[in-house]
This record gives sequence, structure tokens and C-alpha cells, in this order.
Amino acid sequence: MSEEMNTDQPILETRALGKRFSIGTRFSSEGRRVVHAVDNVSLTVRRGETLGLVGESGCGKSTLARCLVRLYDITDGQLLFEGNDVTSKSLASLRPLRRRLQMVFQDPSASLNPRRRVGDLVAEPLRVHTKLSGAGIRQRVAELFELVGLLPDHVVRYPHEFSGGQRQRVGIARAIALNPDLVVLDEPVSALDVSVQAQIVNLLADLQDKLKLSYIFIAHDLSVVRQVSNRIAVMYLGSIVEEGASEDVFATPAHPYSQALISAVPVVETTPSGRRKRIILSGDVPSPLKPPSGCRFHPRCPVAQDRCRTERPALQEHKTGRKVACHFPTI
Amino acid sequence: MMLSVRDLKVSFRTDDGLVRAIDGVSFDLEEGEILGVVGESGSGKTVSLLAVMGLITDPNAVIEGSIRYRGRELVGLPARELRRLRGNEIAMIFQDPMTALTPVYTIGWQIAEQIQAHRKVSRSVALARVEELLAEVNFPNPREAMSRYPHQLSGGMRQRAVIAMALSCNPALLVADEPTTALDVTVQAGILDLVRKLRATHNSAVVFITHDMGVVSELADRVMVMYAGRIVERGSRAELFGDPSHPYTRALLGSIPPLTGEKPRRLPAIPGSPPSLLRLPKGCAFAPRCPARYEPCDGAKPVLTGGSHAAACFRVAQA
Repeated sequence: MSEEMNTDQPILETRALGKRFSIGTRFSSEGRRVVHAVDNVSLTVRRGETLGLVGESGCGKSTLARCLVRLYDITDGQLLFEGNDVTSKSLASLRPLRRRLQMVFQDPSASLNPRRRVGDLVAEPLRVHTKLSGAGIRQRVAELFELVGLLPDHVVRYPHEFSGGQRQRVGIARAIALNPDLVVLDEPVSALDVSVQAQIVNLLADLQDKLKLSYIFIAHDLSVVRQVSNRIAVMYLGSIVEEGASEDVFATPAHPYSQALISAVPVVETTPSGRRKRIILSGDVPSPLKPPSGCRFHPRCPVAQDRCRTERPALQEHKTGRKVACHFPTI
Repeated sequence: MMLSVRDLKVSFRTDDGLVRAIDGVSFDLEEGEILGVVGESGSGKTVSLLAVMGLITDPNAVIEGSIRYRGRELVGLPARELRRLRGNEIAMIFQDPMTALTPVYTIGWQIAEQIQAHRKVSRSVALARVEELLAEVNFPNPREAMSRYPHQLSGGMRQRAVIAMALSCNPALLVADEPTTALDVTVQAGILDLVRKLRATHNSAVVFITHDMGVVSELADRVMVMYAGRIVERGSRAELFGDPSHPYTRALLGSIPPLTGEKPRRLPAIPGSPPSLLRLPKGCAFAPRCPARYEPCDGAKPVLTGGSHAAACFRVAQA
């Protein structure tokens, strides 16, 4: 969202990143099996920009987010932070990286320890990662509280004394305490009341401007993702099917799946005639245990051809930087 | 008039005092009409409909007012009488389909049981009806789905099974409480289509509770906006979305990011958060967050004034 962007070196880059989970044991009826939760994902996040990740539940967007902050071990491909390979760094050598790469979770009441005062919770990363004195920590916590719109005397309260929106502010204060460069936000407004969501969206935009943050923003609410993101990536069954500037992708989605997804969003229309045409997908998202052959979207795709059943389309770059994984994109 | 609710009040006795969850709600529903009820958590949208269904069994709940269904008073009706109506003439679907399904029986068994509880039919007739119903709610292979257990179905499928169960006795009134909130937008679109189809084919009336303004604007004939246990605005879809008059409705609509066109740099947000029902202000409950607040707002609670399009706001009444 910041005006001048240093596009030289991406802050974060993935190269054919994958995450496999093995499930079951040799005693289960179907034996040990492998799920490709994230499959061959190549992404870049530039300094100061927001990349939005969208897709239906189970598409692997949260798994990808956890891989990006190394909460999950990456099983395939590479993860680069400022050009350095951090794919398989040990946990100890990751510590300097952790300061610069933070995460905000969906449910602030689950990610904040209910038995500790919120001032302590925000001070914790400072105690772990910095050599600040007690007074220094208190001062920094006060700064952070002001930055996220909480009152100074809130530090002595417990999480349950706050509303959902205020709790998410605490979660955000904790994430930015160490001046990170990149924050991964996994559904940060989904658990909040509609009237409070806009406050948090605005807060995130303000912090990005002030602190020159980069964001990876995950949400299932597509209009919120469009609002905060410069670019978006649409995921289906563990892979990216379309990527591009967020306004362009929303205005002219090129992949049939993006088209269906965006057309399904209910929007406020005052006249019935103004209602947009809706593409209703048949069937459900297939199990990632048994992904379909060829293009993984072909069983539900309204424009699938024979080629789609056998040959898997690669994510290809088109004009204006749009990337689409489809044999017949509308671009 | 199919349903007529007058001055409904629901309170709960708690350790912290009496909590009034619903404070004087009145509305009407015509046959075959879709009424959208919008509000945030704690606005009373669910509790008011649970009261209509006679599903508030908490001994600490106090229900006052009148709920008339096809001329019959439901408040104070014996549980046995209510049970005869529920599931038969009045059906309900909830946000989480797993709470409405038992995990230990197949889908087919559960829906057949529901049919046999209300109709004197044989098992085989009931099962044949189940197959029809599952086909109606777009199960690709209804016969096979009947032998499935709930955990073997996806979230969207489960919700469709619950809808099939709700439709099993051709209800005249369907109450749907956030039935699509837990679902993906692509699945939600299918469920909304199904609700529209139900109205078209069975002429059922539907009360659809949601927090999503977009869903309401696509589905409802008339809309009711609730805040802190009271109706703040009601009107037809065109009136409410074309010309919202209550500051809360306006602010809520304004805070939704657009899906097309220019992106605003900042969203017009509503300050603060919804009030606790234990500490409601003396005047208008929205006043502390309201951009149009002036003296009268703190003195008394505004009443719903106007014809078919009405708002509970001193500013609107004055204008």
C-alpha cells in the first residue's frame, strides 16, 4: 500500500514449495497415505506490498502460511527470505529470522494466554528477542499499545476483559513488537463482528504505511482481501491457479475457478436486474488424497475439454503479469 | 398473515442481573415471503427466532409478548402441541449442520425417522420420500447418500441433508439461522439457490437470519436490521438497500469493502464495538457509536416509526 516500492529484491520467495503430510498407519484400512496439502507453489512477496491468498476451505492456504513462517517443515522446494535459503535451517538458526517474520492468527482468544495480562503478552517477544531493560520494555509496550489503538492502562487487563476487536489489536501489537518486515495474517478479521472488521482492516493499512510492512493476507471474505491486497493468488487443491494485481483479477478473472469463486460472492444490490450472473460449481472440492488427473479443477470446470482431463496446466505468465494455470484461460 | 409477532421480550436471569436479550420486537410474515434478519452477535436475531420456535427451554428465561402462527398463539402453548408444529409445519436449519444430525445413524435413517414422526407412513414409503428429497437438494447420487453417515459428507452436503430433513414435511415456514456462515461462498451460492427454489415450488415462507448484508440483499423480500435486542430498521429490500435511513444500517453498509470499482483508501469504519446487554445505555443503544448522535438519543429509546419502511431513530423521525 505504500507509494514507493523497492521492487528489486523480493522479501520472500518460494520456489516450487510443497508440503506433504503422511496420514494413517500401516494398520489403517488403507495403509499409510500421503496428502499433498501444498503442491508446487512459487510466489514472491515484494517489500511493502500485500499478497492476498484466497481459496475455499481445504485448499491449503493456511498450510502454506504456516510453511512460510516455518511453523511447518517444508517437504519440497525452497523458501527464500531476502534471497537467503531458509528452507531447512535449524530452529536455533531460525531465531533471528523469527524477529522479522511474524504471524497473526484468526482467533485472538485462542492465541492469547488467558491467564496473563495483555501487557505481559505483548512484552514477551521483547523479553525473548531483545536485551531491553524492564523500563525499556514497558516503554516499548506503551508505544505499541498506542500504535494499535489501545489505551495505556489496558496493559494490566486480561484478554477476557476485551472485546474481539480489541483482542485482535493485542494480537497485532504482539506481532509487530519486534519491528518485523513481513507479517502473515491468517484470517485476522473472520472472527470479528462486521462492524468491527473495517476498524482492523484500516489499522492494518495504517501500520503498513507507518512501519513499511509486507503482508501475506489470508481470508475467505473476498471483498476484504481485495481491499487490503496489491496482488492476490487464488489457490485450488494445494496449488495456485491464478495470480495477479488484485483489482485486475477481481475485474477480469481469467481462470474458470476464479470466475466461479468471485461470482459467488453475495453483494448488496438494490435492483434485482442489477444482479450479476452467477456460476454455480457442481460437486465438492475433491479430496487431496485422490486428486483428479490432469487439471485438478476439471471435474467441476464448466469449460473443461479432453486435454484438461489428461494434461495438467502449468502456471503461465500472460501480459500485465497475470499468471494463470489453465489450458483455456479467458485472457 | 402467517406469523405475527407482537412486542416480544425475552430476558434471562443471570448472576449479574436480568439480561434483556430481546426488547419489544414486532414483525409480520406473509405466506411465501422471505424475511431477512440482519444483525451482529448479541443483536438478538437468533434468540427472537428461537422464541418463535418455542426452543428457549432455559428455566431462567422469561418470554413475554405474543407470537401468533396462522392465528394460533404460540407463547404458553404446551410442549406437546408445539412439537406437533415443529418439524411439520415449521422447520428450522442451523449454522452447524452437525448439531442437527446424529453421528451414529445414516442420513437416510435420520430423515426417514423425521418423516415417520409426523406422518403415518410405512418405512418403505418414508425411504422413497427421502430419496426424492435428497435429489431435490441436489445430491448427485441420492440413493448412495442415504447410506452415508454425517462424517462421510462435506460441510455443504451435510447442510443440504439438513435442508432435506427440514423440507421432509413440506413446511409452511422455514427458519434458517446463519445456514451458510460456515460454508464457502461457492457452496453458499448453491444453498441460497435452494432456498429460492423452495419458496418457488412449495410457497414456503422463510425467515433467514444472517450477519451478511450481501446474502440478505440477494435473497430477502423484506429485511429487518437488529441491534442490541431491538429492531432498528425494517423495510422491503429495495427500501432498505436503496435508501437506508438508520445510521447503523448506513454505517454497516458503508463499512463493507466493494468488490468492484475504486478501492477506498480507508474503509468508513464504525468506532467501538457492540454493547454488552448487561450494560445497555439508557437511551438508544447505538448512540455511543453513532455519528448522528444528539441530545434526545441519550434520554430515551427511540421507537420504530414509519410505514412499511421504518427506522428507530430520533434523527430520522425528526427529518
